[in-house]
Amino acid sequence: MICDNCKERQASVILTQENEGVKTERHLCEKCAFQSQMFHLDPSQEPLSIQQFLSHWFGGIDSMQSLQQSKEGIPEGPTCPDCGLTFKRFLDIGKFGCPTCYSTFKERLPRIFSKLHNGHMSHTGKIPVSFNELFAVKKKIEEIRADMQEAIQAERFEDAALLRDEVKALKSRLATCQDGGGDADVN
Amino acid sequence: MLMSINKFMKGSVAGWMKASGEHADIVMSTRIRLARNLRGHLFPIASNPEDANQVDEVVKEVLLNSGEKGYEYMRMSDVPLLDRQILVEKHLISPQLTDSKRNGAVILSEDETVSLMINEEDHIRIQCIYPGFQLENAYEHADSVDNELEDKLPYAFDEEFGYLTSCPSNTGTGMRASVMMHLPALTITKQIDRIIPAVTRLGMVVRGSYGEGSEALGNIYQISNQTTLGKTEKEILADLKNVALRLIAHERRSREVLLAKSKIALENKLFRSLGIIKYARLLPSGEAARCLSDVRLGIDLEIIQDIDMSILNELMIFMQPGFLQQYARTELTAEERDIFRADLFRERLSVNQVSEREDSGE
Repeated sequence: MICDNCKERQASVILTQENEGVKTERHLCEKCAFQSQMFHLDPSQEPLSIQQFLSHWFGGIDSMQSLQQSKEGIPEGPTCPDCGLTFKRFLDIGKFGCPTCYSTFKERLPRIFSKLHNGHMSHTGKIPVSFNELFAVKKKIEEIRADMQEAIQAERFEDAALLRDEVKALKSRLATCQDGGGDADVN
Repeated sequence: MLMSINKFMKGSVAGWMKASGEHADIVMSTRIRLARNLRGHLFPIASNPEDANQVDEVVKEVLLNSGEKGYEYMRMSDVPLLDRQILVEKHLISPQLTDSKRNGAVILSEDETVSLMINEEDHIRIQCIYPGFQLENAYEHADSVDNELEDKLPYAFDEEFGYLTSCPSNTGTGMRASVMMHLPALTITKQIDRIIPAVTRLGMVVRGSYGEGSEALGNIYQISNQTTLGKTEKEILADLKNVALRLIAHERRSREVLLAKSKIALENKLFRSLGIIKYARLLPSGEAARCLSDVRLGIDLEIIQDIDMSILNELMIFMQPGFLQQYARTELTAEERDIFRADLFRERLSVNQVSEREDSGE
């Protein structure tokens, strides 16, 4: 079936909305479902088990109707500043919209991951080398800054100036490591 | 009239179809998939075409300029529909990627061992397929491609959650390791129905060979890890290896029992299937898959001789609709496909016996 909204992609999710007793059903592709704000996912649908899993997140409810009702009462939760996804919407779709969603929903994620990954909540596998470097550079900057403060307090201004240049150099290195990231969280 | 089947197939055989590698009689192929995303870009589900193009550009540039030669880049919107279907049938791309509105692309290594999907569910999906049971080798290869990319690209990675992926079921290592197993004896004896739930409890998923939702066509099952968080890549591989080894042992035992208890009935079944694929004039895909499974088992048990296993591996792939239509060079109805499939099988199996020896002299 083709998506009701874009008429281009395959529909993979069914969204339903009840309005004054009239139930509207729309078949949408993932992408349009992501953007659609007004419809609720029908939890009885087939395709994505992860989606079903998450849409039953506020568990303990058996019948679909009561699930639907209970979901009405659920607040949208935090909204991701980068992609506009709300936490509630994330539960509906079962997908994050961007890397920032992870920090936006950070407090709520461990419980979800624990269920999905057999009780595990944090990563123990591979770490990108660049990430290690990034971390090392950030740490170095903090250290030098502390030294710089010390130097200033001791009125060793020449030392402080040297340290300041060092921080500058490291920060530019950090910027090249981080290109594309754009998050200036060094300060 | 048509290109000889032999020649057509030679041009289309992917590296993983060769019958080699450890336990190749039961494990047909091993696959590792790594999901990666770039910082500063929305995931494909939320992105716009410009953003998707940017991702495409940077990933393409890194890989095509890497030391490794022979990578080929294909943008999905430039690939004809039939060719896209064939890429899916060879397991080199996912059906989702073929959606031309997705700005998807694939980069293939020369022998098709590595395929890298751009803008699928995640920005980057690195996939390595090896023939037989080779989890470590396949992982090392995928890992080296990953290293090459992470050296140049800002990955979305979090200290606590690991590699950040669009679907929370991939978060962490982003790794899905899977083995494709031929388990006819466990299926015939119905033991598989008890085994699947048990394997599931061990944190693995068992599916039909064509991924999510597909049934086990031709007694081929795909076993993969379910969780990606809280275990290292090595641990995930070790767990999967353990489960697969136990399944292999179980399958071998069941084969022995079958052979000991009902040799004639088994021989009868296997030879009849050989007869069908050698002489049928109409060969529906379900029947073809079932017969291929039987003949494969016959070869493994040394009941059937003179047939090369790699021919069976090829036929399994080439019996699919996309390949048949490419071979026929025209669109085919379902019935026409059954006719072509029967032709293909007859020709390939007789070619094998008559001229394979001459071919090997070239």
